[in-house]
Amino acid sequence: MSHPKSTSPAPDTARHEYSHLAPLFLRLAELAEDDPARGEVRDELVTGHLPLAQHIAQRFSNRGEQSEDLVQVATIGLIKAIDRFDLTREVDFLSFAVPTIMGEVRRHFRDTSWSVRVPRRLKNLHLSINSAVGELSQQLGRSPRPSELAAHLDVSVEEVYEGLAAANAHRSTSLDDLLVNDDSTSLGDTLGEPDVALEEIEQREALHPLIQQLPKRERTIIVLRFFANMTQTQIAEQVGVSQMHVSRLLSRTLARLRRDLADGE
Amino acid sequence: MIVPSSRHNNLEPSSPMWDVEIRVRANPEHLSTVRVVAGDLAMRADFDLDAVEDLKLAVDQVCSTLVGLAVAESDLTCRFEVAESEIRVSATAVSAGEARPEDDKFGWRVLTSLTDSAQVVQLGEADPGKNGVRVEFVKTPSMAVNG
Repeated sequence: MSHPKSTSPAPDTARHEYSHLAPLFLRLAELAEDDPARGEVRDELVTGHLPLAQHIAQRFSNRGEQSEDLVQVATIGLIKAIDRFDLTREVDFLSFAVPTIMGEVRRHFRDTSWSVRVPRRLKNLHLSINSAVGELSQQLGRSPRPSELAAHLDVSVEEVYEGLAAANAHRSTSLDDLLVNDDSTSLGDTLGEPDVALEEIEQREALHPLIQQLPKRERTIIVLRFFANMTQTQIAEQVGVSQMHVSRLLSRTLARLRRDLADGE
Repeated sequence: MIVPSSRHNNLEPSSPMWDVEIRVRANPEHLSTVRVVAGDLAMRADFDLDAVEDLKLAVDQVCSTLVGLAVAESDLTCRFEVAESEIRVSATAVSAGEARPEDDKFGWRVLTSLTDSAQVVQLGEADPGKNGVRVEFVKTPSMAVNG
């Protein structure tokens, strides 16, 4: 599993951005353990540093639904950092908070990237299937069938079923995101023609802003699938992620759009 | 996991290999169950992976729409007729209002993009003010595309 670079997630500008909060730590330290004002000061510290948690969460994921989870995890890390921060140790808060928050996010990936415990054999099978899907799609000009995967990998079709089910248990984008999440994968470049298709819904006031708000990659995938009529396999190739990942992103993004549309009504 | 009870030879082209019906309360929390059943059936019918995933997304879309229209405490029924080269899905719920599934233009576009054909069947008034509403769609495996 590759992690994003862990260097300077809080650049000096960020340090400056939070400097006005520093006196609050002094205040917090001065207040008695049972002083009701503690809660207020602590809240203010958490709220003030939230952008830091968001910033770190973002480094670990593309935006989208998953990243809401990540922001929560990062915020928990932030709260822990605030509660554990010791003024007497003469380090500034950010130097202490950043590793604490990152540790929390990493632990989240380690503990939950498979939403159920999946035996190593199945994880490996899942990986073999994933790469076989890419290879066979190239050969066949469409996505493979389970029987074709079984023949290609020389395993039983039941094992392929198991491996595919394991893929479903693999909730995360986490691993995939870590592998492909790189700002240089500028997917906006792949837009163009589909943008014309998107104009069709330009008039639909409720939907259009929701689609515009989607992270670039999610928006691209939605537009390519539903307005340019590309298959998941074609989209996977164009966007440079696996078909399984396209599928997860579609499912998640549609759920998000449905929820946001319902909220807007 | 769905284990089909019998897999007999197709005597008629349209006769399903498996005919599976699932009934749940029309609540969002049951949608994942219906989706898993849909995916398992399509996988075991040896549909290609794009078609399996599209079917799951279509089932999700249809069932979310119907759940949104359904009266409280009512049921959602999903029937899957699985044949060699197509899966026919019909999802039925009882709706209270006048709203129709195709009113959600984006949702309907999503459904028609994901399936080979889709239609709404109005089943008429079950009880006063309550209308049976059904969405039917057909999904076939993907064909090879060049390029």
